[in-house]
Amino acid sequence: MSLIVDVLSGGVRGGTSIMYAALGETVSERSGVINLGTEGSMLVGALGAYAIGVETGSPWLGAIAGAVCGGLLSLLHAYLVVYRGASQFASGLSLLFLALGLTSLFGAAYVGQPVVGFDQWDVPLLSSIPFVGEILFQQDPLLYLSFAMVPLVWFVLFKTRIGLLVRTAGERADSLTVHGYDVRVMRTGAVTFGGMLAGLGGAHLSTAYANAWFENMVSGRGFIAVALVIFAVWSPSRVMAGAYLFGCAIALGPALQARGYEINQFLLDAVPFVLTLVVLTVLGKRTLSSSPAELKRVFENAPPSG
Amino acid sequence: MSTVQTAAPVALRWVGALAAALVIFSILLMTKGANPIDAYQGMWQSTFQRSRSIEEIFIQMSPLVLGALAVAVPARAGLTNVGGEGQIIIGAVAACGMFLLLGDGASGGLILVAMLVASVVAGALWAGLAAALRLVAGVNEAISTLLLNFVALDVLLFLIYQPWRESPVGQPATRELVDVAKLPVISGTKVHIGIVVAVVMVVVVHLLINRTRWGFRISVAGGNSEAARRSGLKVSMLVLSALMIGGALAGLAGMIHFAGVEYKLRPGFGSQLGYTSFLACWMARHQPFPILVAAFVFASLSVAGDSLQLDSGLPAASVNVLTALILIAVLGFTTMRKKANA
Repeated sequence: MSLIVDVLSGGVRGGTSIMYAALGETVSERSGVINLGTEGSMLVGALGAYAIGVETGSPWLGAIAGAVCGGLLSLLHAYLVVYRGASQFASGLSLLFLALGLTSLFGAAYVGQPVVGFDQWDVPLLSSIPFVGEILFQQDPLLYLSFAMVPLVWFVLFKTRIGLLVRTAGERADSLTVHGYDVRVMRTGAVTFGGMLAGLGGAHLSTAYANAWFENMVSGRGFIAVALVIFAVWSPSRVMAGAYLFGCAIALGPALQARGYEINQFLLDAVPFVLTLVVLTVLGKRTLSSSPAELKRVFENAPPSG
Repeated sequence: MSTVQTAAPVALRWVGALAAALVIFSILLMTKGANPIDAYQGMWQSTFQRSRSIEEIFIQMSPLVLGALAVAVPARAGLTNVGGEGQIIIGAVAACGMFLLLGDGASGGLILVAMLVASVVAGALWAGLAAALRLVAGVNEAISTLLLNFVALDVLLFLIYQPWRESPVGQPATRELVDVAKLPVISGTKVHIGIVVAVVMVVVVHLLINRTRWGFRISVAGGNSEAARRSGLKVSMLVLSALMIGGALAGLAGMIHFAGVEYKLRPGFGSQLGYTSFLACWMARHQPFPILVAAFVFASLSVAGDSLQLDSGLPAASVNVLTALILIAVLGFTTMRKKANA
């Protein structure tokens, strides 16, 4: 395999968990809620999927469990910030600690246990396309599902009534109230859905990417997802591109090292973050103006409306 | 908070919320086959009735106090500093770099002072980066400080995996700080003087934000930047200085953690110290003196986690559940809901 194929297919594989989480965070932030607990949702998702995978032998049941766990944790975030008026940053970080504790408490039993994970499954015909096929279609089924998830999230957010309501909750919450909708319900739904996707991302990490469970295995990917959403200016398709970019940056180091190049992985790891900062600086006020209005209020410490 | 609250219901809310946190944690302990009464008793005894543990609490508390102050000062100016994690790391990196630069020839006092200055300056500049991005390009500081955490972490890892690595085999780490440059301990204890520094800084920050003209100005700018601008305040300078002072405090926390506890940089140095500090600051509602209490609680819980491992055979990190439940209780259930927040 050539270096480029190696890096790109590794980037797609490694970026998938981040992409699921970032897609979920896009929905959440579009409704006006930032969720730093995404990292936590990925963690409980990873363990939930792994545990159910071990107990039932079915990775698909595991993935569903992962989504449920991630969703439940985010539901708690939604309750705290939407119904109890807690600070979004503080609540999200608290839930990260909750997830760290819960997964440490219940995860110890699963360390070193073998799991039936998602195996590589080559898509017939497509996988034999040179280059593209090797990168995109010699992967695992949960990864293929993410290909469908991007257009699906885009479609629901921008082409359906429910998507309109969610986006309005993030832009003009008071106008929803005027029309008799409950903003709190919209936000709770969006944040919970976001957590479910983050949980799926965690499931991909533990049952398809690493095929293992260990403490704190998400190690910052959830935060990367939050950063990525901003990098992607709240657009699902750009989230996809960004996730693969982050994934490739992570995959490049080992691929080069395997070929005998001396390379310090950590300079590469920093690239996506620096790039995000550069993009934000260049776009400057344009990014902020394209951010959901209610989210801007969160960042500016203004009381939310609606 | 604009809602008027009478004292009694607030106290009741605190008791109720904390009790609920303890009950929920008990249930979780029972599902793991541990007796919660025994576990709590063990945690209490080994945390508060052994002098070693009490010393450990004060040791762990110092960087948390400073890290929380690093959130409190910018918060007064209406700024969200989520970057304590990175500023702490950069402070420690600067301190370690100073030590490596000066080498063994220098006296302990010189190394200590140099490390102190370097960490404070480095922390301030790291946070200043976020302030500059906000002022020049309108990048929100909550986002930029969060992103800079990861850059700082990569800087740390880069240094300890290559240029500053002591030995090519084994765990990557820098050289250990020479004994003469380690933080002195309070006589008769194992507690280094970081706690004294932390308490002094609490008083200093209290005076700074409540008693000086600058403190008044940043709170005006934080409350209503437009009004501040119209009354002739240089809001940009206030934003810059508030964030940089925050960064300096976090940098100091990093130096203290380095020269008082870790002595060398290694992967995972100061991990989650910044986020924990952020939460401690929230629990203290951004007030300097309550920060001491919040940091004490967090440090005690962390020490109690070790007891949980020793006495009940559960992973030490499980205590994070209790910490989080207490936080959730305090954040969500000790105050009346804001009126504006429907």
